[in-house]
Amino acid sequence: MTAVLQARAITKSYAIGKREIPVLRGVDLDLHAGEKVALLGASGAGKSTLLHLLGLLDRPTAGEVRYDGRPVQDLSVAERALLRHRQVGFVFQFYHLIPELTALQNVLLARMMGTTVFGYWRQRRRARSAGVAMLEQVGLGERLHHRPAELSGGERQRVAIARALLAEPRVLLADEPTGNLDSETAQGVVELMFSIQRERDLAFLLVTHDEQLAARCDRIVRMKDGTIQGSRPGDVQPEDSAQAD
Amino acid sequence: MYRLFLAIRYLLTRPINLLGMGGIAISVWALVVVVSLFSGVMAVIERHVQEAGADLMVTGLPEWAEWSRVDSALGDDPNVAATAPRLLHYGLLLRPGERPPTPPLPGRSALNGGDQPFLFVLGIDPDKEREATEFERWLGSADIPPALRVPDPDAPLADRDGTPTVLVGLDRMQREGYAIGDRLRLTTARLVPGEGGGKTPVRLELDLVVGGAYRTSHGGFTGNNVFVAYSTLARALFPDRGDPVQEVAVRVHDQTQLDATAERLQRTVHRAVERDGLGFGQVETWRQRNGQMLANVAHQRTLLKIVLIVILVVAAFLMLATLSMTVTEKIADIGILTAMGGTPGGVTLVFLASGLVITFVGVLLGLTTGVLTSVYLEEIRQGVLWAFGVDLFRLDTYNLTRVPYLIEPIWLLQVTLMALVTGLVVSAIPALRAARHDPLVSLRGV
Repeated sequence: MTAVLQARAITKSYAIGKREIPVLRGVDLDLHAGEKVALLGASGAGKSTLLHLLGLLDRPTAGEVRYDGRPVQDLSVAERALLRHRQVGFVFQFYHLIPELTALQNVLLARMMGTTVFGYWRQRRRARSAGVAMLEQVGLGERLHHRPAELSGGERQRVAIARALLAEPRVLLADEPTGNLDSETAQGVVELMFSIQRERDLAFLLVTHDEQLAARCDRIVRMKDGTIQGSRPGDVQPEDSAQAD
Repeated sequence: MYRLFLAIRYLLTRPINLLGMGGIAISVWALVVVVSLFSGVMAVIERHVQEAGADLMVTGLPEWAEWSRVDSALGDDPNVAATAPRLLHYGLLLRPGERPPTPPLPGRSALNGGDQPFLFVLGIDPDKEREATEFERWLGSADIPPALRVPDPDAPLADRDGTPTVLVGLDRMQREGYAIGDRLRLTTARLVPGEGGGKTPVRLELDLVVGGAYRTSHGGFTGNNVFVAYSTLARALFPDRGDPVQEVAVRVHDQTQLDATAERLQRTVHRAVERDGLGFGQVETWRQRNGQMLANVAHQRTLLKIVLIVILVVAAFLMLATLSMTVTEKIADIGILTAMGGTPGGVTLVFLASGLVITFVGVLLGLTTGVLTSVYLEEIRQGVLWAFGVDLFRLDTYNLTRVPYLIEPIWLLQVTLMALVTGLVVSAIPALRAARHDPLVSLRGV
């Protein structure tokens, strides 16, 4: 079965003055539909850079990023943006919610991205229903009209998850989504993400420092100094299965 | 869609942006109101000076010019409908035995006048004058009270008991308390041949009787000119000549051919009063005769336009400052918007849209309030006068009955384009700054 997302011999380096600083040194990775992959590694190992490359936010210095087997790293900026909008959902450590918008508006922004004013006007009721349903699914049905400043950290991250999923992506890329949460809240957020991932059969790449969290994924990929050190199946815990049901 | 949505949300959550919007609105409002007012004043002045003059005036005719010859030459032109001869002199018009106050003396075409006794005396033929100018209307002006109206409009300058008649401007009549039948004395001078071939001024006094008042829309003309019969002035100034003429008022058939007619008549007059190969006399349209005054008002309007455009630019800088603050605060959003499917360049259009929304709303507010203010300027003037005792616009300065306005659609369009372009430029500056921002920097940071 072809992976949804593939990285082949990816290298990435940044120029600082006259020096080239390599961050990724030939990374290969496959991500299949319905698969949860944890990307583990110390700070500076290149995890976030790889996630940005896979999410088409940046271009590799060399190598290929493939979606459904098709190389996409050389697409135009607009084509990459469209592909990102349709295929990829992001969840970040710091939520990146827009403080001027309510929870519902933050989520609906995902629907507004790919359409014109008139196009959105025609489908506004449908979009709103989908946004409300998404927020209800993440347990924020009562917090639709609250601004980020009125929400707790866990609630903000749930809004960010809802926003990432509203456009119905096939790939979910999460960059330390629990890194800014207390353990209890983090647990709830993780359960939510795993549950939705199973439900929607998403290809899920989770960047984390947390060995325990990584162990709950299907596969763990360890990174060090810009290379992949090894990959092994994760320890799927019984409660994951229970959660899936 | 998200660009416009976010642009509006950013604006609504930052009331400081109203400063830029207010600045644009106020400067557009001022540009509309001031220019409409000045255009209105110019239109009224043009109407007034046209109403108080002839379509064309032949002036500066030499002393040997004969009315019969000039009239005959002018009458040959196909566009000339009527002509009227004028003699032009000057003097002090006072009650006998009265002493004049100290000048200053305004010019002949001043916007105001009649407040000192030195004035111009026009010798006219009423029958010809009413054909060539609006003389009939000047005598029948509704502003003239019955007691001051000329008793016999068909013969307004007929002698009364053997004394020549003078028609005086309404304001002067009322200010001096003149009544029909009052005796006045015109004190002036005329030139007579002197020793050695030169000319010597000799005192000339004409006893006149007030025949009634006249009024034109042009305060300066009405205040500074009195009418006497052509024959009266001809006898007094040129006793040895048959039909002298110094000026000719000309009415034309076709106003659209005024300039061309003036050029033709200029050549005609030169031929008619030619001497020693030189042409004399000058033919001017009513607009040319008042060109300096109209140009002065137009010049003031241009200066004000420049000042107000500078204010628009200042308002734009205010907008630039508030938009720059917004960009600084919101640059972090570029990362997540890019991650959600926006292009970095496209995301920066959010900031451009913010500026354009500010500009558009500001222009709309400014245009609407500007047009409304212009239309109700007189009511606003009266309201301020009533409430604060301050007269924002002295109507008597331009001999007006209400504050004039003229809304020119082309000017509204120019102001709109000017404001939109200015808004676009100042919005583009912070938007370009945002465009240079790396979205990954936002995503990595807090």
